[in-house]
Amino acid sequence: MDPIIASASVIAAALAVGLAAIGPGIGQGNASGQAVAGIARQPEAEGKIRGTLLLTLAFMESLTIYGLVISLVLLFANPFS
Amino acid sequence: MSQSNQSLANNPADPTTNVDGIDSSTTENNSMEEYYQLQKTLRIVTLCLMVIIFFPVWIFYSLNTALNYVLGASVGVVYLRMLGTDVEKLGKEKSSLGSRRLGLFALMIIVATQWQQLNVLPVFLGFLTYKAAIVVYTIQSFTSIRE
Repeated sequence: MDPIIASASVIAAALAVGLAAIGPGIGQGNASGQAVAGIARQPEAEGKIRGTLLLTLAFMESLTIYGLVISLVLLFANPFS
Repeated sequence: MSQSNQSLANNPADPTTNVDGIDSSTTENNSMEEYYQLQKTLRIVTLCLMVIIFFPVWIFYSLNTALNYVLGASVGVVYLRMLGTDVEKLGKEKSSLGSRRLGLFALMIIVATQWQQLNVLPVFLGFLTYKAAIVVYTIQSFTSIRE
C-alpha cells in the first residue's frame, strides 16, 4: 500500500471513531443520569424508565457503531489500497 | 415529614412499606417485570425478523450471503442482551455503561474483514436487525396506545 494512503487511512480511522463517539457519549451520559435520577424519585416506575433508557441507548450507540465500522473498514479492508 | 411519620406509623418495623401499606419492593419487582418483558419481546422480534429476512436473502443473493446475515443478526441479539444487562445494573451494581459490547462488534467486523468466507456488508446489515426490531416494537406500542 502507498505510504501516503496508509497514513491518511489511519488518521481518517482515528478521526472517524473519535468524532463519532463525542455526540453519543454526551447523549448517553445525559440520558443515563436523568434515568437514574428518575428512578430515585419514582422507584415504582423503574421498569418503564429502564425500558425507555434501553431503547434510547440502543439508538444512540448505533451512531458510534457507524463510525467504528468506517474506521475498521479503513484499517482492515481498505478500498483505496 | 408528616408523610414519613405516617409511613412509620403504618409499619414501623418494615421500612419498605409505604403510606398505603403496599410493599414498595413488590411494586419495584412488578415494574421490573415490565422491563424483562420488553427485553424478551425485543429478542423474539429480532429473531423473527432474522428468520423472515433470511429466506429472501438466500433466494435473491446466495446461501453464503444469507448465512453471513444470520451471523450478524445473532451477534446483534447478543449485543442487545448485553446492553439490557448493563441498563439493568446501571445505578445498582455499576455506575457506568461498559464498552464490552463495542468490543464484541469490533471483533465481528474484524473477523468478517479477515476471513475470506465472510463479507462485511451482510454481516453489518444483519447486526442492524435489532434496530428494525426496536422500530417494530415502538410502532406496535404506539398503535396500541392510540387504540
